[in-house]
Amino acid sequence: MVRQLTKKYRNLTAVNGISFTIKQGEIFGMLGPNGAGKTTTVEILVGLRSADAGEIRVLGFDPAAHKEKLHQKIGVQLQMPALFPRLTVGESLKLHASFYPAPFPVDQVLEWIGLADRVKTQTYKLSGGQLQRLAVGTAMISNGDIIFLDEPTTGLDPQARRQMWAVIGQLKAMGKTIFLTTHYMEEAQYLCDRVAIIDHGSIIALGTPEQLISEHFAEKAIELPQVLAEHKESLLNLPGVTRIQADGDKITLYAAQVEAAIRELIQREAAGVLTLSGLSVRSASLEDVFLKLTGRSMRQ
Amino acid sequence: MKIFLNLVSATLKDMLRDKMILFWFILFPVIFMFLFGWIFSGTGSPIHFDLGVVVEGETPLSAALVSSLNAVDVITLHQGTLDDEQDALAEGDRSAVIVLPKFQGEGSVTIPVYYNAAEQTNHILPLMLGEILNGVERMILRQPQMFVLDVQPIQSEPISDVDYLLPGILAMALMQLGLFGSMRLVYLREKRILRSLGATPLPRIQIVFSEIAVRLLIASVQALLIILIGYFVFDVRLAGSWWQIAAAVFFGAAVFVSIGYMLVSFARTEESANGILQIVQFPMMFLSGIFFPLELLPSVLQPVVKVIPLTYLGDLLRGVLVGIPYNYGPSVSLLVLGAWLIVSFSAAVRFWRWD
Ligand SMILES: Nc1ncnc2c1ncn2[C@@H]1O[C@H](COP(=O)(O)OP(=O)(O)OP(=O)(O)O)[C@@H](O)[C@H]1O
Ligand SMILES: [Mg+2]
Repeated sequence: MVRQLTKKYRNLTAVNGISFTIKQGEIFGMLGPNGAGKTTTVEILVGLRSADAGEIRVLGFDPAAHKEKLHQKIGVQLQMPALFPRLTVGESLKLHASFYPAPFPVDQVLEWIGLADRVKTQTYKLSGGQLQRLAVGTAMISNGDIIFLDEPTTGLDPQARRQMWAVIGQLKAMGKTIFLTTHYMEEAQYLCDRVAIIDHGSIIALGTPEQLISEHFAEKAIELPQVLAEHKESLLNLPGVTRIQADGDKITLYAAQVEAAIRELIQREAAGVLTLSGLSVRSASLEDVFLKLTGRSMRQ
Repeated sequence: MKIFLNLVSATLKDMLRDKMILFWFILFPVIFMFLFGWIFSGTGSPIHFDLGVVVEGETPLSAALVSSLNAVDVITLHQGTLDDEQDALAEGDRSAVIVLPKFQGEGSVTIPVYYNAAEQTNHILPLMLGEILNGVERMILRQPQMFVLDVQPIQSEPISDVDYLLPGILAMALMQLGLFGSMRLVYLREKRILRSLGATPLPRIQIVFSEIAVRLLIASVQALLIILIGYFVFDVRLAGSWWQIAAAVFFGAAVFVSIGYMLVSFARTEESANGILQIVQFPMMFLSGIFFPLELLPSVLQPVVKVIPLTYLGDLLRGVLVGIPYNYGPSVSLLVLGAWLIVSFSAAVRFWRWD
């Protein structure tokens, strides 16, 4: 669907020759830090910006050439919510519904985005998170074959985020294809069938979350939140530890044999060399993959 | 079409729920109408004179003169002493003072008339008085009249200042709606609402059409309010037929909407758009003769006067609405306004940036 897509803003290459294909009926996530090129990609895919190079097909259409036909069949939520400020929530959804050939009922979407009790509120009076949810609602109401969501859960409280995940899952169950971008590792890991990790305009990894993790880590992660940097070197020769990643005060050890490594750590603590307070053991996550691939944590 | 009607209804709600829009485009012209109506109703015209009469000796002749002066409609008599009447003249309470001396015997009599020459219209007073006195003289001498005037008034009612102002206020309201109403499109662009709607199946040109439709609707409400207030509160006489008035109002609104879009398409931000509009509308308001006749402007400014569209809309509306004789004639006005419409429309299409 997307081949060698490139977009330049003057001398800045925002998207640098990326290629990927989205399968029908899947949730495809694009994960990356600020400025990675996610929004640029989405806006090109929906025909709002033109690409400098590359070939793109969305539902068989070239978005730059057949915007009108494409828009009939997709729903789009852009990163910054922008709606008529003095229309109410209900009126905004109704207006958007009127644009599409076979929209979802307004009441159902209100239910999905949890704004049923705000139908009569003018949109400029909504809180940031409520406005964000309404923007997602205007994309969903399209009943389009593909729903594009640019950071649908940014600014939502944890409960609203869970609710949004549930709705996106429901849409997938209805056979919709969903393309979403996110900063949140756990969101990509939980929600997405496949994830493309993008950084500085390039895709640095692509696959199912499980694939990405197992491809890069056979190990478990041991986190030590309060280790002095001077001990870092000495930790490398722990039995079973294959990699060390430092991120501020926090040190993460990736160990093939967790038990052996922990036994040794306890001995060292007993000898007074270091403190283990706050120690935790977990499976490796997308966060670890990102850290390994870029050498940076996602939220810096 | 159904999409468009939905959009128009949404635009209408979004605009009319904004108190500022209601104030500037509906209430403000109404306030203006009342304000100017009250200030100007009754002053200046119709022509009227306060004449002071000083009778220095009661005689049958002086009584006859006083009663024939009294018979003239546009003259109100005030009798008093010479001193009092001259004081009143000095204060502007009298247009003129006539002194009737003690008439005795034969021979010609000198009748002094003092008048306030500062008022333009007062210059005809001495002529009028002379004519009245001549009439009395002919009656006394039993001279037949050689020329008899058959006076037939063509204009049944006089044009008042409010008659002149009403079309001007309407033209001003239409101009402001056209110019400042165009800011909304810049606002929608800056708030990324245009961009957002650009990702829906809605053709974006429909957004502009919907904005225009709503503004034409507001224009007709403005016109109706101003005309009704003028007619019922200030006795403005209406000359044109309804369809002529409606056509002139919509055409004028369309011209200024187009000029508004041209002006804002030169600007990148809301602030600069507002600046450009202010710079254009302020001089236009005063150089267009919508509030006072153009002859009062210095001649260096006349070329400017002759190109600005508001001049012609004012002239057109004055003619169509209240039947004030055209300065330029309706076809000239329509031609100039049409030219502005075409030029500004092309410029707007050429320079407008969607994002
Ligand atoms: N209109 C533009 N003109 C110039 N540069 C731009 C423009 N839009 C984006 N950029 C630049 O392109 C790069 C990618 O931006 P983009 O918005 O695609 O990032 P993103 O991944 O969506 O980031 P975020 O997570 O902050 O939304 C950034 O460096 C940004 O500064
Ligand atoms: Mg973005």
